[in-house]
Amino acid sequence: MKVSLSWLSDHLDLSRKSVPEMAALLTAAGIEVEGIQSAPENVVVARIESSQRHPDADKLSVCEVNDGGPELRQIVCGAKNYEVGDHVPLALPGAKIGDMVIKIGKLRGVDSQGMLCSARELGLSEDASGLMILSRDLAPGTPFDEVCPPVFDLEVTPNRPDLLSHLGLARELAALTGLRLRRPATFTATEPGRAAKTSEVTIQDEDTCPYYSARIIRKVKVRPSPAWLQEKLQAIGLRPINNVVDITNFILMEMGQPLHAFDLARLKGGIRVRRATAGEEFPALDGQTYRLTDQDCVIADSKSALALAGVMGGEPSGVTAATTDILLEAAYFDPSQIRRTSHRHGIHTDSSYRFERGVDPAQVTAASQAAVHLILELAGGKVEAGPVWAGELPSSDVTVSLDNAYCRRLIGYPIAPAEITRILKALGLRKEGAKWRIPSYRLDLRRPVDLVEEVARVHGLERIPARVAAPFVPPSRADQEYDFRRILRSRLSHLGFQECQTIKLISEAQLAHDVATQHRNLAPLRVKNPMTEPHTFLRPGLVPSLLRIAEHNVRMGTTDLRLFEIGTVFAASPKGQAIELQHLGLVATGRLEPASWRAPKPELIDFASLRGLLEQLCPGCAVDLLPIDDPRLLVAAEIKIGESKVGLAGLLHPATARCLDLLHPVLVAELAIKKVMGVLETKSVFAPLPRFPAITRDVAIEAASNLPCQAVTDFFRSCGEPLLESFQLFDLFVDPSGTKLAADRKSLAWTLTYRSSNETLATAQVDEAHRRLLDRLKSALPVTFR
Amino acid sequence: MLEDLDQIHRSALAEATSIPDETALEEFRVRYLGKKGSLTAAAARMKDLAPADRPLFGQKLNEVRAAITAALEDRSSALMAAKDAQAAQGIDPTLPARPLHRGSLHPLSQVLDRAVDTLRRMGFALAEGPEVETEWHCFDALNTPPDHPARKESDTYYFPNGKLLRTHTSSVQIRTMESASSVPVRIIAPGTAFRRDEIDETHSISFTQLEGLYVDRDVSLADLKGTLEAFFQVIFGAGTEIRFRPHFFPFTEPSFEIDVKLRTVGRAERWVEIAGCGLVDPAVFAAVTKCRKDDLFHPDLVTGFAFGMGVDRLAMIQYGIPDLRLFNENDVRFLRQFV
Repeated sequence: MKVSLSWLSDHLDLSRKSVPEMAALLTAAGIEVEGIQSAPENVVVARIESSQRHPDADKLSVCEVNDGGPELRQIVCGAKNYEVGDHVPLALPGAKIGDMVIKIGKLRGVDSQGMLCSARELGLSEDASGLMILSRDLAPGTPFDEVCPPVFDLEVTPNRPDLLSHLGLARELAALTGLRLRRPATFTATEPGRAAKTSEVTIQDEDTCPYYSARIIRKVKVRPSPAWLQEKLQAIGLRPINNVVDITNFILMEMGQPLHAFDLARLKGGIRVRRATAGEEFPALDGQTYRLTDQDCVIADSKSALALAGVMGGEPSGVTAATTDILLEAAYFDPSQIRRTSHRHGIHTDSSYRFERGVDPAQVTAASQAAVHLILELAGGKVEAGPVWAGELPSSDVTVSLDNAYCRRLIGYPIAPAEITRILKALGLRKEGAKWRIPSYRLDLRRPVDLVEEVARVHGLERIPARVAAPFVPPSRADQEYDFRRILRSRLSHLGFQECQTIKLISEAQLAHDVATQHRNLAPLRVKNPMTEPHTFLRPGLVPSLLRIAEHNVRMGTTDLRLFEIGTVFAASPKGQAIELQHLGLVATGRLEPASWRAPKPELIDFASLRGLLEQLCPGCAVDLLPIDDPRLLVAAEIKIGESKVGLAGLLHPATARCLDLLHPVLVAELAIKKVMGVLETKSVFAPLPRFPAITRDVAIEAASNLPCQAVTDFFRSCGEPLLESFQLFDLFVDPSGTKLAADRKSLAWTLTYRSSNETLATAQVDEAHRRLLDRLKSALPVTFR
Repeated sequence: MLEDLDQIHRSALAEATSIPDETALEEFRVRYLGKKGSLTAAAARMKDLAPADRPLFGQKLNEVRAAITAALEDRSSALMAAKDAQAAQGIDPTLPARPLHRGSLHPLSQVLDRAVDTLRRMGFALAEGPEVETEWHCFDALNTPPDHPARKESDTYYFPNGKLLRTHTSSVQIRTMESASSVPVRIIAPGTAFRRDEIDETHSISFTQLEGLYVDRDVSLADLKGTLEAFFQVIFGAGTEIRFRPHFFPFTEPSFEIDVKLRTVGRAERWVEIAGCGLVDPAVFAAVTKCRKDDLFHPDLVTGFAFGMGVDRLAMIQYGIPDLRLFNENDVRFLRQFV
């Protein structure tokens, strides 16, 4: 909301407050100052005394202007929209216009001692069509900040509709500063009205419109408003229309009560406040026709809708230069009904903004009366005796009690009862016995806690001593899970992985890249109202987004990538309920180490390297990758840590990788954090160090090339040979040519380590154990020894 | 015979100083001292001597063996020293590294971890709640009017079953109080919140929030002020000016926004909005009480404060990041800047 400082000054003496002081005062009161529009310094009113074409430039003129000083000033000017005799803003040398400091200089060879300005150059409006033409009543030399006093752009919180007017704001400032309000804080109507006959006003939709009043003024002269009114409206960004419309806008901005004036000649029969019929068309003042619903309330005559209640007037019934008789509406509309209509049709007006937050019911009639006074003054005419009204204004009879002990408990500091009383009285509350009577305009004060807020706000939190004390709170399960994720994040970053954070909504196309296994048979969750296609589904896994990021980075020239993300993934249960799980996603592609002079051509990352990384992530655990068929990947394997299957690792299908411009093999993995945590949370237990030496034996096992290595590993693990301590594959040999080994065979060479915990093994004991082991291996698996 | 020994002695010593390497050294040792070495052969002939000559011969033999052994050891040491010296050659410490891939934590994680660490030291425990949330937890229980704009489908993501993507982590306040078995409740809840918004440099459809809640018998504005001042002094540095500006939120009363005064190089000092906070509105306690069907959180019995801040915003301010979209773009050239 725009608020003019000079307008506010009508209500209280702000002459001793600088603009920054005012801004600080408003901010401290909880009214956010979003912007301050004020004229630059060193700008004055000047009268154009002469104007001639620039000798060397067709588009420029050379003007002589009177700036109030003894001599005329010569200014070179590019605008064309003025006449000699016009008063315009003149930026004197030293003035700062935008980023430019005005200096005396030559323009195309002609002296120029300043700059004549447009409204836009002065930061006052978007109007850059030419010089800003000012009233000729302004004396040359008048400082421009007197012509255009500062205007504040304020953000008023939704609980304080009473601040949405100059009077309301002045009332608040008076309470905060102790300055005296020049007029009483509330206006009450002095002229009694009378209940309307049904032929005059009928309310059929009492939900939306509890109260409607109308005044009729005949024989008004509709014409432009006087300068003071036009300037007031222009200063806060409103366009003057004609005196009657301007007066309704003035009262809106002055008192916060929206009014509407109808051209009485356009009305057929009395006013009917009713629901629109579904599909009813309404031609609004903004030139558009709206198709209404039966939830909208309209102000109608016997034939058609004249106004969308509380939101906008209609085009045909508006006040024009031809209007002579007017009907002035002053009503109270239900906030939520107006909000719904306003949002339904996307019409947001100064009127709907105030009605949907709540206007002061006690001021409806007073606002109407004030408008009538102004209309009679500025447009003449004759008012028909007394307003007619229908319905009833909502009660504003509210009292709230405030207990000092409660106030102290919430604030944590004893504010003296006298100070509490002073604050509440300044805000317009009246003490009635043990209770406080709430002024009609303070719709937000209904409970004791609301009064505590006022006390705290006005007293200021900076004056309340801070207290730092805390009870002991035991760590929660969420703490443990957070810490575990943090350990994983830390390990991964030390393994060269970059942590990513992506938006949890993904596109339908990305679903195809999902490799999560735990909930793969469940449907993904689609939002009902996606805004854009790329953000339609809650991600079922992390790999799809990580692949997008890999694509982006490769495109940006980074081809060695190790990416991970830890976060929530989603699926729909068969009953449609959301399932949320914490996952870890990995994507790795490119070289095993950065190329350097020591390793000019490092190898590309492969399955074994991924497995190595996974083992580093889960130290002390047996990590197995168990091959499975998964159409989503070229090679896929379930990740088993200890006894638990925790996710899937795989080699992305090259066709998919190519689509994403990823040219090197791309390894992906997706793990369920909870399962990993279940395995890794087991405590480490001390094992005595071996005291006797180990003896090793090597063996080369020949097998069909499709025999998974896991078969051999599983055999070693489960063979039960007590002396076998460990086993390590040290060579894999294949010969596609078939010369040294049949093409469909492979040789796996292992080092087996034997050790006893009781004695130093003799060679014969080891040989015996080794032979025993190989015999069993041969009968367990289709292998031979080389 | 003794001349033979002298001969062996002379030739061995002459030869030893020019032995070129370890292999030749071993060959030398075998040739003189080995089983078939010349000194061994000479020794074998001692039995041919007259018993009277033997002591002298034996003495001489020992002298020669000791001398050859010493020469051998000298040469071995010399060769080792030469080799050691050679090992240093060609090592130029100024050559560039053979580097490893360097990973990093996301800037949002780093900022969040720091905030979480700080608040945990101040006695807060972590809490969490679902991101797909009910309207009751996200709005109703938080005293949000039924026709509040945030509930509109134009502002919030919904699902066909009426659930929604939480628009703030404040829903975790409700989740926590619903299931708490005792007071005090002193929790923080970091998490994602979603808004249906156009994505640009200062807006996204999702962002990370950090929520806090402290409920006990007599929690007051003085506690709120002390706790959050202490917190932001850690985050932004001791002595940072902090102000509490009255504001409005449906679920707190009184409500404040917190501004910190930033002093950044090359920019004028300015107040920057950083968080929202307030005392838990009695209506929120009433909603929880109604749902729990007991009096643990009865508005007459407990008071509390709550706060919430945008982690993205904290990170943008702390690192001087101009565009929110960089956080989700995850360009590794960006990510690696934050160590």
